Amino acid sequence: MNKDLLNILANSNKDIDNQQLMDYLSGDLSGAPLHDVERSMADNAFLNDAVEGLQSIGSKKNVQKYVDELNAALHKSIAKKKQRRLKRRLRETPWAYVAVLLVIVLCVLAYVIIRKVLVTH
Amino acid sequence: MTDQELLERYYDSRENDWLGILLQRYTLLLLGVCMKYLKEEEEARDCVQQIFVKVITELGKYRVVYFKSWIYTIARNHCLMKLRDQHGHPAELSDAMLAAWDDEPGSNKHWEKEQWLEWMGQSLAALGKEQKLCVILFYLQKRSYQDIAIETGFTLMQVKSHIQNGKRNLKLLMEKRAREKAN
Repeated sequence: MNKDLLNILANSNKDIDNQQLMDYLSGDLSGAPLHDVERSMADNAFLNDAVEGLQSIGSKKNVQKYVDELNAALHKSIAKKKQRRLKRRLRETPWAYVAVLLVIVLCVLAYVIIRKVLVTH
Repeated sequence: MTDQELLERYYDSRENDWLGILLQRYTLLLLGVCMKYLKEEEEARDCVQQIFVKVITELGKYRVVYFKSWIYTIARNHCLMKLRDQHGHPAELSDAMLAAWDDEPGSNKHWEKEQWLEWMGQSLAALGKEQKLCVILFYLQKRSYQDIAIETGFTLMQVKSHIQNGKRNLKLLMEKRAREKAN
């Protein structure tokens, strides 16, 4: 009891993961795991706001669908940005890339010629 | 990998792929926060995407240490700005929005345990009836919001509010006692 009294003002250090949160929203938690989530909500305004918002989404299936769509869009946008950055780099410094390519071609050519010479001798 | 490690990798390489992994962990929470403020599913989803863009743009400009707190602030401000744009006036900040109790755990360790316990008992007794009841049921008896609502006849929102306000008032009372002792 005394220990719990001391703990009222200490913030919960349990990180609630997305699966636990989904279980909470679906009403699948009870006992200690349920209390862990609610204890974290009481200590953490971010989690509390999120739960209140997610509870207002009618279907819990929609929540997972929205999350999947948002994640897919996020990764697509990051990949696009990466490609754009690569293209921009190519445009800005084309000679550097041409020089590297030239060196590689010369090396291959030298290798082929040396090999041919060695074989004929 | 922890958030901190992902953040470090991002700052070292400046590769947004690390941010993608990090942000994905917060999609559900961000969707919830946007829903709370904007109330519309479609609008909330758009808002999450805008927050992603904002984070990707802003994060490189300075070194963020506590990512979770930082992204919550970004998300909340973004939602409030949207509300202000929609309604033409600043949104009223509710108590929950202003809740800022994310103090470092154990920051009061220097207080003597016995002294602390005595003060906690006194502060708890000084709370309003409803707050005291909800705080005791929630923190000491580890009951769920639903259980407390059934037992007390309060709504779920009232239960949450009594717990949050009760905790905040407890903290204020404890700080007051600490100040009095210091003087």
